[in-house]
Amino acid sequence: MNIETSYSGDTAVGVVSGRVDSSNAKDFDGELSGIIDGGATNLVLDCGSLRYISSAGLRALLIAIRKTNQAGGGLALCHVPENILEVLEVSGFVRLTKVFETVEEAQASFK
Amino acid sequence: MRIAVKPDPSEPRRVVDEVERFCLERALSQDIIFRFQLSLDELLTNIISYGFEGTTEDPVITVDIRLGDADIEITIRDNGQPFNPLEDAEIPDISLAAEDRPIGGLGIHLTKSFIDTLAYERVEGFNCLTLTQPLGAAGSEESPDEH
Repeated sequence: MNIETSYSGDTAVGVVSGRVDSSNAKDFDGELSGIIDGGATNLVLDCGSLRYISSAGLRALLIAIRKTNQAGGGLALCHVPENILEVLEVSGFVRLTKVFETVEEAQASFK
Repeated sequence: MRIAVKPDPSEPRRVVDEVERFCLERALSQDIIFRFQLSLDELLTNIISYGFEGTTEDPVITVDIRLGDADIEITIRDNGQPFNPLEDAEIPDISLAAEDRPIGGLGIHLTKSFIDTLAYERVEGFNCLTLTQPLGAAGSEESPDEH
């Protein structure tokens, strides 16, 4: 798992690649928390290169959703592969975060 | 093929990699690989984290893969405390808001949703959970090729 982050104002865009599973969910949590605690209240996660996410990764995602909500911002996802979208649907996460086609649409949702 | 699993948190990923290799060598679909990767990470993590709490057994965990003509079957066996994930796991309320959500409890729910057929039995001190996935259409009505 790797996250490459770029910033524009209080919005961060993180490109997530690889897999988020029980072995590295803590790192995923740490990286997301670092981005949000660093002042990004809006976070877009580009999931185009994400291979899979298990429930341990969803827990980290839930923590990030709560943090951005508490900061008055939000978390949005884009480029979500179909099988990962199914994970988000089955787990109810599609109700907790918005899913967009492109980074631009996700960024625009915060304005 | 049988994989012996040590009671170590790094093991689910190694098993997932071995199962992926097994599936790729036999040209099975990415969809099947995804479903088993997700389920094995969830189930093995549960067994390794909680399965041996309060037991004095030396942990024995194995994963067997059998490829048939029409389906692929993976059986996870462990001699931890009796646990039937099909009946003993709590069903999460996925309608709750982010603030009200409990932090855990999704793993077995995901496994049940992503695997076509699950069967549990307790045999001679071992939990035996068999996951079966058809080789053709993958668990849902839609064929992934039609998108």
